[in-house]
Amino acid sequence: MKDTNIYKPLRAELVEVIEESPTIKSFVLVPEREFSFATGQFVELTLNGTGEAPFTPSSSPLVKDRIEITIMKAGYVTEKIHNLKPGEIMGIRGPYGRGYPLDRLYGKEILIVGGGCGFAPLRSLLYNLEAEKDKVRKVTFCYGSKNPAECIYKPYIENLKTIEKFEVFRTVDVADETWAGEVGVATVLLDKVEVNIDDSVAVVCGPPIMMKFGVMKLLEMGYTDRQIYLSMEKNMSCGLGKCGHCMMGEYFVCKDGPVFSYDEIKGQPDIWK
Amino acid sequence: MFVISMTDWEAVLGQLSATYSLFAPLEFNGSQDYELVDKENTGNIIYNHPKPVTPVKTFFLPVKENVTIDSDIQKRTIIMGVPSCDLAALDILDEMYLQRDFTDIYYKNRRENFILIGYDCRSIVENCHCTSYGLNPYPEKNCDLMLARDNNTVILQSLSARGADLLKEMGKYAEITNASDDEARQINDKRSEIIRLLKDKNKNLPGYELSGKLIKDSPDKIWKSYASTCVSCGACAAICPTCTCFLLIDRPDFEKIRQLDACQYPGFEKVAAGEDPLGDLTVRFKNRYQCKYVWKPLKFRSIACTGCGRCIDTCIGKISKNELLEELASEKMS
Repeated sequence: MKDTNIYKPLRAELVEVIEESPTIKSFVLVPEREFSFATGQFVELTLNGTGEAPFTPSSSPLVKDRIEITIMKAGYVTEKIHNLKPGEIMGIRGPYGRGYPLDRLYGKEILIVGGGCGFAPLRSLLYNLEAEKDKVRKVTFCYGSKNPAECIYKPYIENLKTIEKFEVFRTVDVADETWAGEVGVATVLLDKVEVNIDDSVAVVCGPPIMMKFGVMKLLEMGYTDRQIYLSMEKNMSCGLGKCGHCMMGEYFVCKDGPVFSYDEIKGQPDIWK
Repeated sequence: MFVISMTDWEAVLGQLSATYSLFAPLEFNGSQDYELVDKENTGNIIYNHPKPVTPVKTFFLPVKENVTIDSDIQKRTIIMGVPSCDLAALDILDEMYLQRDFTDIYYKNRRENFILIGYDCRSIVENCHCTSYGLNPYPEKNCDLMLARDNNTVILQSLSARGADLLKEMGKYAEITNASDDEARQINDKRSEIIRLLKDKNKNLPGYELSGKLIKDSPDKIWKSYASTCVSCGACAAICPTCTCFLLIDRPDFEKIRQLDACQYPGFEKVAAGEDPLGDLTVRFKNRYQCKYVWKPLKFRSIACTGCGRCIDTCIGKISKNELLEELASEKMS
């Protein structure tokens, strides 16, 4: 059997660009052939001739003919991607890594804590849980954004609120005149949630500083290291467990992660950097 | 073991260099490195003295390679003069590039096609320390033929089916005889002598596993002190036979270039949002030691340092990995 070339991306056509916030856009891509991923796995997205960067799809893993990737303008490649218009051909490699441990979430009270663009992978997870609602006991989603304008997926949040077993709490770091809700970082919402911790699993995704304080708060609430799952974002460059850019102590985040239990990674150096 | 006279061996080299791309260590500026052999330069080949400046790794993982176009190896290749440390280092390269769920077809193609002739080391140089990590200073693995030169003869031993075929091919150009008991004994005596020299030289150097433990428990101050002359040039990693990190560079038409990279370069792990786990020089410096002695042993079967000592030879900050490890070991005891 001929070995496949692990470096060659699949072509995908950009069919829609959705402006989610002043700094975040979603890109809907139609790959040249069916593309499957498990929720929480990531892909390497190539901007032809410019660069490649890792993203966790924000769309449902049950949809195979298109894939949605939500991207915050943060660096050289993402800024250029933000300027793209539908019709552009991009490249996708993957999916890579270990996604969310669905089998450990089913049957539990799931507490999901997201911050900023960290909602992207979590939306994929929420889609998946929604589709498998029978296996889910309760999902509590706490989401914090910098300000009301930076809150992404607003229509999706409204829809989620109406779904049985799903509960949504929101906060903003800085309020404006449009905002009458909670103010403060995402972790302030954790004081409001009602959850049976012994029978619960927490999932956290957001900027490193938010994940750090999120974990501290969850531990304080009584969650154990093994009940907390984190999506780690490192400089995953090859996605193949080879190039070394995403090493976090003994782990290649792209291969051993990107989703880890806190128990697995707490001893590694610089996990919040 | 087989013997070929030096005159016949020259003829063999002439023939092989015509049908293969034949590389061997040639002398330059008092040093040596792999060069293409032709009829004119066979006299400059260095035999059994460690070691080429660059590791054999660079044949299998070129510094820069387009990994999206068809891989082609035009001519069969023989790499002669590979020391044991470099041969052993292919173990972890194989694990990294052939296993772990994803195979790099460019690396695989070369590993399947390149013929390796390993040298017995008949001398040692300043920073050699293979025996400290359980290796011997002669070819034992990842090698097709062993070669040791005495004054007027070359002794060869086949170590693989491909090596046996090559020996057969050599037989077409030269008279090959069985080595006498005396000649075989001499090989072994010299091997023992080199092992003794290496062990004696490195008697204070902790072994591979112990080095890992020492690094794990080490105080920050030693890293700060040793890193103080590090200029993040990355030469230690570039020249290391077991360092494998790379960068993928994008080119038009969705082409990608795999370029060898090093955790010692600033920004190696930096992400777009600005976080940089290896931003601090001391952390970055220590990272390479932790990778080789603490983390790789948890995920790989093969050792991640084979004791070639090139990182010490090449360091412009005059940082000696072995001095650092010896210091850690002596502090532990005191």
